[in-house]
Amino acid sequence: MRLALLLAVPLMGGLALLLVPGRARRPVHLLASALTLAAALAVAAGVVQAGVLAAADGMLRADALSAWMVVLVAVVAGLAALEATRAAPPEAARWFLPLFHLFVFTMLGAVTTDDVGLMWVAIEGTTLASVFLVNAERSRESLEAAYKYVLICSVGIALAFVGTVMLYFADLSVLGAGEHALRWTMLVDLAGAMPARLVQVAFVFLLVGYGTKAGLAPMHTWLPDAHSEAPAPVSALMSGVLLAVGLYGVLRFKVVVDVAAGPQFASRLLGAVGLASVAVAALFLWRPANFKRMLAYSSIEHLGLVCLGVAFGGPWGTAGAMLHVANHGLAKAALFILAGRIRAAYGTADIAAVRGLRGAMPVTARGFLTAMLALMGLPPFGLFVSEVMIFRAGFEGGHAVVAVLAIGFLVLAFGGLLRALHAMLDGEPPAAVREISAWTAAVPVTIALGLLVLTGIAWPPGLAAALERIASAVGP
Amino acid sequence: MMAVCNLLAFLGLLAALLVVWRQSRPGRLQLFVAQSALLAALAAAIALYSGHRELLVVAAAFAVVKVIVVPRVLRRVVVGAPVRPVAPGRSAGLKLLGAGVLVLVSYVVMLPVTAATSLPTAGAIPLAFAASLLGLFVCVSGRDAFTHILGFLVFENGIFGLALLGAYGLPILVEAGVFLDVLVIVLIMEGVVVQIRREHASIDVDRLRELRG
Repeated sequence: MRLALLLAVPLMGGLALLLVPGRARRPVHLLASALTLAAALAVAAGVVQAGVLAAADGMLRADALSAWMVVLVAVVAGLAALEATRAAPPEAARWFLPLFHLFVFTMLGAVTTDDVGLMWVAIEGTTLASVFLVNAERSRESLEAAYKYVLICSVGIALAFVGTVMLYFADLSVLGAGEHALRWTMLVDLAGAMPARLVQVAFVFLLVGYGTKAGLAPMHTWLPDAHSEAPAPVSALMSGVLLAVGLYGVLRFKVVVDVAAGPQFASRLLGAVGLASVAVAALFLWRPANFKRMLAYSSIEHLGLVCLGVAFGGPWGTAGAMLHVANHGLAKAALFILAGRIRAAYGTADIAAVRGLRGAMPVTARGFLTAMLALMGLPPFGLFVSEVMIFRAGFEGGHAVVAVLAIGFLVLAFGGLLRALHAMLDGEPPAAVREISAWTAAVPVTIALGLLVLTGIAWPPGLAAALERIASAVGP
Repeated sequence: MMAVCNLLAFLGLLAALLVVWRQSRPGRLQLFVAQSALLAALAAAIALYSGHRELLVVAAAFAVVKVIVVPRVLRRVVVGAPVRPVAPGRSAGLKLLGAGVLVLVSYVVMLPVTAATSLPTAGAIPLAFAASLLGLFVCVSGRDAFTHILGFLVFENGIFGLALLGAYGLPILVEAGVFLDVLVIVLIMEGVVVQIRREHASIDVDRLRELRG
């Protein structure tokens, strides 16, 4: 019931927004976002009580991992929704908000279905719902970004479909026949009897496919363009949660391949891809030229770190990785919202052209500085804690070389980000740039940073238990 | 049964090879239509021989989407595009060689798959996978939007054939979702291509180079 409601609310909200007249759009949009958040919290509460929620004959299913993703999607979508009322491009006013809610619907669908075939359909749906959002500004650059996005992600996700079909073969070879053969729970139950080679081949396809969606190197090439050209609320959603939804797909299949072929196989692959992502991102971040692209590459870096956490495993690795997914989502939501405002005020996203932010937009500058420091992993913000957890898992699990390399890349990225930040904040402010005066503008950023302080120094009761349950769901 | 399936799968692979070889856009589009028709026939054949009657519905839906609707959309892309003269000295020989290598690779990759399935159609699985790899090859090596879309569709066709031969198709709900997604992708790509043409007077993606670094 709660699961059906969770999916119905954003879908209905999107449809309603297509139909209502212009004046009513804003209240309907905010109401739909608030109800989505409420439904997500209800699902999470249900999972805390019952362990697992299921609906529609088991087709919809939410365990601890799903609930974590559901809440993250809904919270980041709520923050982006607040900004969407301000930052929706006027060229696209009519269908921007409907597609926004459809996009949220597809992401929630991807993380709450037990059928890996439908999960594939939903993750492909995230691309289709968001491609016009990327191109909402209708410039040459955003058109190119949208083209690259839909092409690369569709091809990538088709590779994931090959992997899904192969797992279906493996499943049928054990099961004989069955309409529930694509259910994830069924796959996990039967994985022990599946041919290990076949599952391994399938996992490679799935990692490349869903890894494309997660923006992991070397399949990341669509990401900087799409993230930097999309309007701020869409960038926040894409960077904050869409990448995590792609990674969620990989994690589900990691559980299957762990049972079928031993935990080493998936860990090694994830470790390699994770380290490559951190390296690619760090090398770019050393000298960024455009601050939205800088944030996009930083997403590649952090998703790489999450992969490393999952690869290290152990009691700290997976929990740290899942916490890092949430922390990164919150920090990026705040940063993309602020970056969108800075771009609107200065009329450019070139770091070289943004000078004197501190003088021109003091409130925005303070928020940007704070969120950037959080992103770089400084205490008291949550990313510090989750990074420490991930690297602790690396050293304890005997992956010291990989961990040291990754820390080296992190330091490199840190230096580059700090330099860019310094260049933007200081200098002579241009006369034409004005601060946003509405107090409501501060709400989404304050909420995101507040939550990051909570995950940093004052874990709310139940968070540790929740992370433990997620870690046990994802595997050893 | 086996002979019919093998023949249809082989002809599907042949169509994919010809897509690699042909240069003209309408010609490639016709090959895609032919391949889609072959796959619809394959689905119908499997439905009749194996008694999985619901596959007939899938075959019909597949035929409607891939033989009628998608080509109609793609024709709009082809018709408006200025014909680009084929650069001299570019022969298809090297591409065909690459295609041959891909067919061999697909046999090797599919070894664990064919070993695991006991269906009578399993022997043709590498053919379907090879066809999908050729589509992927066309897609990633293409320099214009039409080739990208067409390669992607051949890729998708190959996966459909793979699922047919290895498992008599996927559960019907998933199949329906996949058709819907493919249809929307093609419509989106068409929309984007039309806009690119308006901006750049060409569908050559070489000209899209604003975003670097």
